[in-house]
Order: sequence, then C-alpha cells, then structure tokens
Amino acid sequence: MMSLASYLIISLILFVVGIVVMIARKNIVAILLGIELILNAAALNFVAYSRYVTNNLDGHIFSLFIIVIAAAEAAVGLAIVIRFFQIKETIHIDEATQLRN
Amino acid sequence: MFLQFLFISSAVLTVSCALGVLMVKNIMHSCVFLLGSLMGIAGLYATLGADFVAITQIMVYVGGVVILMLFAVMLTGGNDFVSRAQNLLGLPASMGNKWTYAIGLLVGVVFLLTNIQLIRGLTKALPVKTITNEFPSTVTQIGHLLVKDHVLAFEMSSVLLLGALVGAAIIARPRKQN
Repeated sequence: MMSLASYLIISLILFVVGIVVMIARKNIVAILLGIELILNAAALNFVAYSRYVTNNLDGHIFSLFIIVIAAAEAAVGLAIVIRFFQIKETIHIDEATQLRN
Repeated sequence: MFLQFLFISSAVLTVSCALGVLMVKNIMHSCVFLLGSLMGIAGLYATLGADFVAITQIMVYVGGVVILMLFAVMLTGGNDFVSRAQNLLGLPASMGNKWTYAIGLLVGVVFLLTNIQLIRGLTKALPVKTITNEFPSTVTQIGHLLVKDHVLAFEMSSVLLLGALVGAAIIARPRKQN
C-alpha cells in the first residue's frame, strides 16, 4: 500500500493537473495555482525518493528549498498580477500583449 | 495501522482537491481547493517521516502562499472568464479544449516512463531498505545539514527572499499615471 510507487502516482496526478490548470485557465492567478501544484509534485517526489531509496535527508533539504522558492515566486508573481491589473483593469492572460512585436 | 489511515486520507484529500482546482469554475473556490490539496501533501510528508518539511509546508504554504493568492483574487475582482460553450468534459470551453487534455496526457505518460526507468535502475543498484513504522525526529539532522553541507544554498535563499521581497514591493507600488 504505502510504497514508492503510490507516492509517485500521487505526484504524477498532481503534476498533470498542474499542467492542465496552467494551460487551460485564462486567469493569471489560476495559472499561478497550477505552478504551485507542479512545484508540490516535485517536492513530494524528492521526499519519497529520499525515504525509500537513499538513507540521507538531502531530499528533505531540497524540498525545503522548493518551498522557499515557491514562496518567493508567489510574492513576485502576485505583485506582477496586481500591477498588471492596475494598468489593464483585467487579468485575462490574452490581454498581456505589451511585449509582442 | 494509523500510518495507513493517515496515508489513505491524505492521498484522497490531495488528489480530490487537486481535481477540484482543475474542475471548479470559481477562482476563489479553486484557491480553497488548493489549500486542501496542500494540507494533504503535508499529511503525505508526515507519513514519509518528514516532520519538519510537513510543518514548514503548513506554515509557509497554507499560512502564507494561499492567503496571498486569496488576497490577489480579491484585489483583482475574482473574474474567472468562463464562457457559455462547453468542452468534452461538460466544463466551460475556456477551461481547456481537447488539445489541453491531450498535452496533459502526454506529460503524464512521459513522467511515468521516466520514473519507471528510474525505479528499475535504482532497485537494481541498491538493496531494498527495511521500512520501519517509527520515525526519528529529523529537525536536528536538517539543522546540521543546513549549516554544514548546504550552507551556500541556505545563504543564497536568504538573499533570494530579500530580493523577492524588495522586488515585489517595488513592482506593486502604485505609480502616478502621466
């Protein structure tokens, strides 16, 4: 029941759901939600391999750094979203065309 | 026994809430489902014996990132841009067409194949570790690792957080329109 494969399957589901959320949604905040899911899938994989394959705690350290980087990414991403909303008065992803051409 | 109960409940919470993030139309409900999914992942960390990572996950993600997301949703109006047309799952067409789900399926297959190769290679190389049901606390060892082996990454992450904080404050600062 509790084997490496079950953790990998949960991580797989999280990763695929994150990818689909990131592609499908038109709201920029929802895209950030998809990125959070993907980062969590990666961190879960690190901890699962660290428990079942190696004996050391390096996977835990990696997972902690993933959490730190996700927090920094969320802060900067949401600041960009709020600034974009101040300029365009919408957060539809198709409106973000300033860098085109 | 308790460990298995925790594992099953955490796995069900994680997967169902992740699917909720995908399926639900309202972006606010989506954020709340993400909160449930992150709590489930913290439970999975606990079943893996990673107590410090589980607590950090709850503190940073559930206490910080999701609250930040909810604030951003509320500040930007919470519009979820759904359309009337429906896709093949009965959801609004703006939540993905068949190509979206095809890409998701492709990504899943690639992920599965790479992990199968990894597991095969690792089980050949390493002996199967005996798994006990009692976990020692990992806090002391993680503390030692953070200031011995990984001290460069530790310091760099502090600089990264400082830069992200200042950058976020500068980007989100209201400016006069000219």
